[in-house]
Amino acid sequence: MHSTLKTMAHVVRNAPSVLQNIKARNGKKMIGYFFPVFPEEILYAAGLHPVQLYPRLDEPITLADDHLQTYLCAYLRAEWDQILKRERSYLDGVIIPRSCEAVTFLFQTWKRHNPFDFIDYLNIPWKNSANTLSFFTKELQRVKKNLEAFIHREITSNALADAITLYNQNRSLLRKAGGLRKAKNPPFQAMDIFNMVMSGFVLDKKEHTRMMTDLLSHIEKPADSPEPSPVRLLLSGGCVLDTRLLDIISTAGATIVADDFNNGARSLEPIVAEGEDPLESLAKAYTTVPCGFNTALKDRFSFLANTIAEYAVDGVLFAINRNCETEKFDYPILDQKIRERFRIPTMLIETDYQCAVGPLQTRVEAFVEMIGGKKI
Amino acid sequence: MENRKRERPAFNRDIAAAMKKHYSDTRTRKPLAHTLMSSNPLIEVAYAAGIQPAFPENYACVCAARHASPAYCEKAEAHHYTQDLCSYCRNNLGYIHTDDMEPPNGGIGDPDLFLLTSSACSHYFKWWDTLHQIHRKPLVFVNTPRVMDPLNMPDYYVDFAKDEIISAIGEIESILNISISPEKLAHAVHQSDRTVAYWQKLLDLQKCVPAPLGLSDLSNALFVLIVMAGTEEGAGLMEKIYHETSRRAAEGKGILDRNEEKHRLLWLNIPFWYNLKILGYFENRGCAFPMSDYCQYIWGVTRMDSNNPLDGLARKSLEGELNTSLDDHIHRLIEDISSYHIDGVIAHSNRSCRVLSVGVLDAANIIRKELDIPVLVLDGDHADERVYSEAETMTRIDAFLEILGGQ
Repeated sequence: MHSTLKTMAHVVRNAPSVLQNIKARNGKKMIGYFFPVFPEEILYAAGLHPVQLYPRLDEPITLADDHLQTYLCAYLRAEWDQILKRERSYLDGVIIPRSCEAVTFLFQTWKRHNPFDFIDYLNIPWKNSANTLSFFTKELQRVKKNLEAFIHREITSNALADAITLYNQNRSLLRKAGGLRKAKNPPFQAMDIFNMVMSGFVLDKKEHTRMMTDLLSHIEKPADSPEPSPVRLLLSGGCVLDTRLLDIISTAGATIVADDFNNGARSLEPIVAEGEDPLESLAKAYTTVPCGFNTALKDRFSFLANTIAEYAVDGVLFAINRNCETEKFDYPILDQKIRERFRIPTMLIETDYQCAVGPLQTRVEAFVEMIGGKKI
Repeated sequence: MENRKRERPAFNRDIAAAMKKHYSDTRTRKPLAHTLMSSNPLIEVAYAAGIQPAFPENYACVCAARHASPAYCEKAEAHHYTQDLCSYCRNNLGYIHTDDMEPPNGGIGDPDLFLLTSSACSHYFKWWDTLHQIHRKPLVFVNTPRVMDPLNMPDYYVDFAKDEIISAIGEIESILNISISPEKLAHAVHQSDRTVAYWQKLLDLQKCVPAPLGLSDLSNALFVLIVMAGTEEGAGLMEKIYHETSRRAAEGKGILDRNEEKHRLLWLNIPFWYNLKILGYFENRGCAFPMSDYCQYIWGVTRMDSNNPLDGLARKSLEGELNTSLDDHIHRLIEDISSYHIDGVIAHSNRSCRVLSVGVLDAANIIRKELDIPVLVLDGDHADERVYSEAETMTRIDAFLEILGGQ
């Protein structure tokens, strides 16, 4: 494994202590946010350190049970649990996008318990029109103004433009890495891509961009090999945090060549126009991020269909968290459309926080075996 | 669970007749729009345009009350809509895929279009988008923002909501090739406002001891407030409901007699539609429900000026409590618990209604701490009775009543 990939894996595994160290080193205030629908360029331009929030998976949920029922998303319950356990002491604030009810609850309860110096809520449009775009731009202006009050200085247009350039470069490198999986024998495992993307949610963006540049300069374009290629899967779901699933898929003889989740391809989507009004450009680009909660089925299918075609996908595995209403609602129609259009097998597996791995393994193995059999 | 027969207000018969007519209309009148209920400004627009609205959420309540929801939910689950989705939605998706069952109230007709707003549960956008895909009929969507700080709502929120409504009106006109007259819209808004005015006065009467109406009467009246919003018939019926309630209050007549009403309880969240008998169980033990957040805060909160109908409709779409903050909700609860002389709370932790349930545990804790009154949290579901446990619920209620009696 390339040393940069090792570093990235270390960052992801030890995100809380890495963030503590970054903070001790550069003294920047840290702002957490959920989902790749918030333009973190604004935070970067403000001289703040953005952190996309995900819970650790090795901590049983205990304290959050007094606030959030078990029929709500376990990842959000876990996030809240870890905050109650004071495991986010590096954070100075949070920005919550409008998404599902549990996320909105977190905004309200955080506001009441007041653990952070800065907290804001951002309405994300759920459709694309001139009216919603204009509204979203105003929402970003409002958040920018609140951040300026928090840091006691202006976030200049130049700083925003520089942040946009840096983030575009970063996402372009990540897309390039992801794109290498179009090859018959991809040079990266799913775990590598997972670590590349997730480490970007932790590290300073300049440092992460430098690491990605270095990594890609050492990866040669994969040559076509006479060896049979593994079964090529697309993994779709809200977010996949439990890397045991990636191991199961790999062990079963498949490789994930593309994904459709928040901590994956969806976060690489926005291509922000440079040289125009920065907030308008950010608004325009971020309304295209195809998260489940803000995207109509037609557009979600279009994103999936393009990916399936581009990456020569053999099968689609929907890995959806229990109690994720958003993804669960879209699944039946997306599944049907994929089968109709591409005639490839699909399967739904339900994941959960600290779930037993045995049943998942059996199902994934059967699925991969079925596709492998078909290919031969 | 045998309940004593009590004399219910006469207006319930009028509501039943209006409901029967509504469901008949949804099968015979065209064009038909399947319309989201919560704070939806397009209800008044539909009536002004001569469009017959039908309400899948309301129909899910009807199906639940007739115990048809489990069969519909199972059908939806067979089509991969899993049990962790809202049972109103599963009821509706199952209904669409069922042709071997006599539908309650005769069913609802197939839609010509869908009228949606985002001022309710977040997943409703997904539900209606799914319906839009299944029926292949146009979806008109007013994408209002959520208002987390109602006292400091930015001005551009109202302007945006107004623009969304104007754009929706244009879309409806184009889809149906009609023109919606501003006079008719103003008239619908005026009727809707009349309905709300009587509703708000009615809720005030519930502060009387004994409470003139029970929770099932209030829940029935919601049909008039929401489904008939914007019609003269709706405003007339709400006026009638108000006057009858007003007479009852003046005569000191409640669902329970004055000396019979020992406790006044608050019901948090949506009732168990399949088991409204449970309210009778409480009544037989001297407990009235003068209020519930479900009846009080979600609908009928916005007064509208028919001289400025778009502004009124925009505010309606923003101000319902499903679209605002939990803190605001809890603050109101604490005020109302005092003004309605509430001495105990039943909180339904409703696995299907996350927007009303995510804060229930916090609300319960805050009420216990700040007001020192007992709160019972009951697990359940608003429509899917398969996840409801009668034995467990009754055991917990009996224990709660013992504590309440002891106090």
